[in-house]
Amino acid sequence: MSRELPAEDPLVRMQRDLKRALKKKPKEIQWGMVIDIAKCIGCHACTIGCVAENKLPPGVVYRVVLEEETGHYPQVRRRFVPRPCLHCQNPPCVKACPVTATWKTEQGVVIVDYNRCIGCRYCLVACPYSARTSDFAEWYTEGTPDLAGKLVGRKAAANGYEAHPAAEYGKKWPDRDHDSPVGNARKCHFCLHRLKVGMLPACTTTCIGRATIFGDRSDPQSLVSEMIGSPRVFRLKEELGTLPAVYYLK
Amino acid sequence: MFTEKHFRYVIILAVAGLIIGTWGMGARLLYGHKYMDYGSFVPWGLWVAFDLFFLGLTAGAYIVSVLTYGFRIRLFAALGPLSVFALLVTLLCEGIIISLDLGHPLRIYRFLLSPNFGSMLFWLVAFIVAMWIIYLTTFFLLLREQLVAWSRDEKRPGHKIYRLLAGGRSDYTEADRARDHRRVRIMSYISMPIGLLFFGMHGAVFAILLNRPLWNGAMTPFLFIMAALLSGGALITFLTYLFHPRDDLVQPLGRIVLGLLATFLFLEALQFFVGYQSKVPNFVASLDLIAFGPFWWNFWVLHLLIGSAIPIYILITRANDTKAVSWACFLILVTFFAVRLNYLIPDLAVYKLEGLQNTFFSHRLRTDYVPNFNEWLVSIWVISLGLLTFFLGMRWLPVEAAGMEEEEHV
Repeated sequence: MSRELPAEDPLVRMQRDLKRALKKKPKEIQWGMVIDIAKCIGCHACTIGCVAENKLPPGVVYRVVLEEETGHYPQVRRRFVPRPCLHCQNPPCVKACPVTATWKTEQGVVIVDYNRCIGCRYCLVACPYSARTSDFAEWYTEGTPDLAGKLVGRKAAANGYEAHPAAEYGKKWPDRDHDSPVGNARKCHFCLHRLKVGMLPACTTTCIGRATIFGDRSDPQSLVSEMIGSPRVFRLKEELGTLPAVYYLK
Repeated sequence: MFTEKHFRYVIILAVAGLIIGTWGMGARLLYGHKYMDYGSFVPWGLWVAFDLFFLGLTAGAYIVSVLTYGFRIRLFAALGPLSVFALLVTLLCEGIIISLDLGHPLRIYRFLLSPNFGSMLFWLVAFIVAMWIIYLTTFFLLLREQLVAWSRDEKRPGHKIYRLLAGGRSDYTEADRARDHRRVRIMSYISMPIGLLFFGMHGAVFAILLNRPLWNGAMTPFLFIMAALLSGGALITFLTYLFHPRDDLVQPLGRIVLGLLATFLFLEALQFFVGYQSKVPNFVASLDLIAFGPFWWNFWVLHLLIGSAIPIYILITRANDTKAVSWACFLILVTFFAVRLNYLIPDLAVYKLEGLQNTFFSHRLRTDYVPNFNEWLVSIWVISLGLLTFFLGMRWLPVEAAGMEEEEHV
């Protein structure tokens, strides 16, 4: 029987990297992500994890898993490409916003100020990756009956789960109604509210194939930096010059 | 020729449109964008197409005011106040419909508090505001003499309101007239570069987007300028026929519109040629959607047949028939909305990443956008409000009277 310990789970290492990053000055951190598409099995757990974490309403999605098919039968292949916001270093969405409601933080994360966004959706049009969605005030529990004493309906189901806002950007938002983020552009923010308390983004922790690697790109010891150095690395639509902070491994 | 009977019909039509459109307006104001059919992949729909349409229509007044007051061409002098008023009404319609399209229209003040000087959309709004200032001032200066005259007429209903509109003045001297016209000329000089930048910036909003092959390119702002001049020119020609049906006015305008239409079609053909020759998949997919997609008739029938071929035939063969010329321009005008839709939707309607259509199922995450009933009702409401404002304005403001002796002042 081997006396060697099993290989360390990448999540454990990423958690350690995260702790180390959070000890640095904020401006010294550059958050980044690497997605190993050879490991992605297309389970969509990251999508579901993100929707649950951020309590996203119908039609709003921060992270999708693209399914690409190549070849002709019988020589066909399918690969899965998870696509969060790519947090471009040269983001077209930031340049598009007429009221500076979206910008890049010093840690390299493109964020949206929900209270400043006028909902013109120009950023949605400008994003080459279709990574932004608009909140059209829809509900999953739309049309379900509210009956007294029954666990059905918008108000009763899961104790009004949908109405209670998520802690996006670490803020306490009012219950979902007509106010922001309804009417706003919404997007992945690398779960900044989780990072603040030392937790990895929801998509990273829910990835069962450990295909999503997250961490501080500026830390040469971090797993994410190591992966970025791989010869398999590429970025989506590199020809556009957007310089995404999300990298892929072939 | 616009008669009292026509006036009644238009007012009834506009009021009916306002009543019918109230349903859509109610849905928009009470429930936001919930009951509209655009989504996140086609984030701009019918209302933005109308926004482009209305902004383009303002160019007619721009041509007339620049020719008349900037270059002092007397021919179109009688149209000055009319065209400026038409510009203001179309800007009003544009302002309303684009405000309704915003997720948070009440935050419009953000353009002042936190402007992004690098955003083309910011500059478009800045130029829209500049156009408002220029043309509202011009309109006031052009009408002031008649406003003072109407305010002095005690028998005229609402003469006190006219005094208020005239700035409380009860006399208007020859010196005032000369000063006001000098100011109008200054406004016209200012409007020359501002107008070109305004129409060009309109195109630049689309032209700078690298991920939108149909829009991206240096030709787009020029295409927008030509589109604006064409649709605006057609509007002014038709309005001239309604309110100043003079052969010497309508027919030259018809010849200008014909030239603009030919130029626009040439540019459009170039866009198709370059797109198909480039063989960029998304570009070709967008062009295919325009020409062979489910709304092919929008392009072939509305735009090319009714909005181009027939007007060209009329404008060439019946160039000396004022009525025919004006109706040809009317056809260009009403079908130009199809051009705006054809420009806006097809690029948005192509998925920008392979496989995106199979990722997350929601009607907001599809590209097969068709405007729904509520969107049309809101558009009808805005158009009806514009019609009502314009025709009641023509009745209650001295727009026609102000144009009467304009030639000698130019």
